[in-house]
Amino acid sequence: MSELQNILEESVARVLDDSIDNQFLTSVEENGWPTELWNTLCELGLPQILASEESGGMGGSWADAYVVVRRCGYASLPLPIPEAIIATWIAKQAAIELPEGVPGLIPQPLTSDLIRGDSLTAEIARIPWGRDANYYLGITDASELVILGRDGIALVAEDNLGRDPRDTVSFGNARLLNRTATDLPPDAVQWLCAMLRSAQIAGASARCLEIGIEFVGNREQFGRPLSRFQAIQHHLAVMVGAIATVDSMSANAFRAMDHYGINGGPGERDAKFEIAAAKCRASDSVETVTRIGHQVHGAIGFTYEYGLHFLTRRLWAWRAEFGGSGKWAQYLGEVAKAQGGDNIWAYITN
Amino acid sequence: MNIDGLRFEPYKLPASLAPLRAEVREFLASEIKNFTPVHRSNSWDAFDPEFSRKLGARGWLGMMLPKVYGGNERGPLERYVIVEELLAAGAPSGFHWIGDRQSGPLLARYGTEEQKKTILPQITAGEVCFCIGMSEPNAGSDLASLRTRAERTDAGWLVNGQKIWTSHAHRAHYMIALFRTSPPDKDRHAGLSQFLIKLPSEGITCRPIKDLTGRAQFNEVFFEDALLPHDALVGVEGAGWKQVVEELTFERSGPERYLSCFLLLTQLIDAVKDSASPETLRKIGEQIALVTALRNMSLSVAGMLNEGRDPSLQASIVKDVGCTFEQGLPALAQELVDLEPSLASYGNDFQQVLGNLMQLAPSFSLRGGTPEILRGIIARGLGLR
Ligand SMILES: Cc1cc2nc3c(=O)[nH]c(=O)nc-3n(C[C@H](O)[C@H](O)[C@H](O)COP(=O)(O)OP(=O)(O)OC[C@H]3O[C@@H](n4cnc5c(N)ncnc54)[C@H](O)[C@@H]3O)c2cc1C
Repeated sequence: MSELQNILEESVARVLDDSIDNQFLTSVEENGWPTELWNTLCELGLPQILASEESGGMGGSWADAYVVVRRCGYASLPLPIPEAIIATWIAKQAAIELPEGVPGLIPQPLTSDLIRGDSLTAEIARIPWGRDANYYLGITDASELVILGRDGIALVAEDNLGRDPRDTVSFGNARLLNRTATDLPPDAVQWLCAMLRSAQIAGASARCLEIGIEFVGNREQFGRPLSRFQAIQHHLAVMVGAIATVDSMSANAFRAMDHYGINGGPGERDAKFEIAAAKCRASDSVETVTRIGHQVHGAIGFTYEYGLHFLTRRLWAWRAEFGGSGKWAQYLGEVAKAQGGDNIWAYITN
Repeated sequence: MNIDGLRFEPYKLPASLAPLRAEVREFLASEIKNFTPVHRSNSWDAFDPEFSRKLGARGWLGMMLPKVYGGNERGPLERYVIVEELLAAGAPSGFHWIGDRQSGPLLARYGTEEQKKTILPQITAGEVCFCIGMSEPNAGSDLASLRTRAERTDAGWLVNGQKIWTSHAHRAHYMIALFRTSPPDKDRHAGLSQFLIKLPSEGITCRPIKDLTGRAQFNEVFFEDALLPHDALVGVEGAGWKQVVEELTFERSGPERYLSCFLLLTQLIDAVKDSASPETLRKIGEQIALVTALRNMSLSVAGMLNEGRDPSLQASIVKDVGCTFEQGLPALAQELVDLEPSLASYGNDFQQVLGNLMQLAPSFSLRGGTPEILRGIIARGLGLR
């Protein structure tokens, strides 16, 4: 990591580790949106990390964003900082200014037919923190960026397995606050959020491993710490390998965004291959990480109080969000088929 | 416990290496175009002195060896590019493999002036084959328990004992061997030393061992009052263990640790191509994700080496994950394509490659250290032992 990324990671880690513990996570599950932490993270400038310095952002790269998003996963952050980073970037591509406050990302492309004149009627499921959002942002199947307000929405609150909000929002003739053509693919939100989730999975998995290492060093059975047993050592070594593949692939996907962007034309290089590989690998690794993470803890890890579940339930949710291993593996399989055996090496190394 | 020390920083090869990669690809396209896929699937075991000499002539061996000793003195990244291209294409690399990868760097570091002057230029030219005499009948994973003794006498080092599983010993020009030079004391790793041995030599007998493929690649090697010159000692007497551990870092860090079955992946893609169901494409896609992640990790290790950092822990992780990946491929290919694995004498290319690698796969987790041992090393890196 660059010097700057080290500093960034340290400062984000300090705030998150100071604020978030089991008690905090429990309270968010019970009481909802933690305003104070959101404000602190906004003051740190995290949602603006990819915005240019002229427009008040950090002028950071995707590689910088990786450091932050991974750390959000590591901390089980129950706030849409990663999603806000994406919203800022999408607005920058369309050269528009976003409304104040919390963005609600519309996960799937919006069908243009649902837009009549300057208003939208649609029911949209699984909007992260839809209930807390100040505005909603989506991309149409014609690659237009649209922004909607909260006026006239109806909301059904749902949580994912990690108990983070994934709400259904119904827009009834809701007025578009903005409608701007972009050169993003209609499913840009899905690609970018799949990439986010892979980084969050890398972070949460690393934390699972750390907790596991600490635990087996302290817990004694048969007169010695569990860490002395070869079976336990090998469990954790296998977990290390799985996490390494995710961390590395995911970090490379963010780098690829810096180099190539998301929207290569036919035959042009873009970051889609890396993103698909990152989410596929991340989703595939969740089984290993959560199985071993729980196994080495014994019964204590299964309790609410111990809190391992704040990580593992999120891992199970993130595994499927924005496409699980099946979807992305099929994408990669199609790539392999299109390239053929003779070209796949050149493709991977390009 | 903070595990940041285990991370794999993304590493992008400098664009300046692209012409070298293109040159290697062009060379391979013409040099091995007539090799059958099943022949290419033996890659870093296939023994082809003529091909190795051609690589030497191109300046693609001894990449890291000093110019004063005939080396090419280029960076680890250039070597990385060449090696990964050779392996991915299945170029026959067995003849020069051990000398180029580990014995050359070892001698450059610890060899006598005379050894460096005579041998390093030969390694760079692709003219010599090395073998590694470490394992013994009673010393496998527990290498430090080896018993073959080298005794210092006025006439030289007198060696008695036996090595086993020594790849290529029957056709190698040199062996780098690890012997006991003084009895073990409290420190089991003390009293071991490395030697450079010219083959064939009086008092040394190689007996090839047929492996399950029916070929004879490895050997038993007997030492019966074999007399080695005084200057056969490599490095410091008694420091053999430390030197070997360094050497194994070279061995564990390369792209060979996940590419042994790459040819099967390419054959599999072509075998299912036209009729592939979504389910089949998914299984292949998962392997593509994994192999891409492994390449990124392997590049990251190369980047660390290039910056003079110590990647030994990361290298062990690549090897462990890489081994699981490549060892799993034959079974997956068999699951997805319902054709019998075949010997090279019949069947189509897919069947032949499958048949060959299915037989070789058990060795992937044996040579150069087993996953059981590697995971112990990783656990030590985690502070568990
Ligand atoms: C094709 C091939 C080529 C080879 N080439 C060479 C060569 O050129 N030079 C050379 O010196 N050697 C060579 N070897 C030998 C190789 O290094 C050894 O096979 C390897 O070190 C394992 O030793 P072993 O076979 O004696 O198995 P053992 O050490 O007897 O192990 C048998 C099994 O027990 C497991 N085991 C052992 N100890 C432990 C432990 N503490 N905890 C848990 N499990 C354990 C092992 O992991 C393995 O699964 C080669 C081997 C093969 C297959």
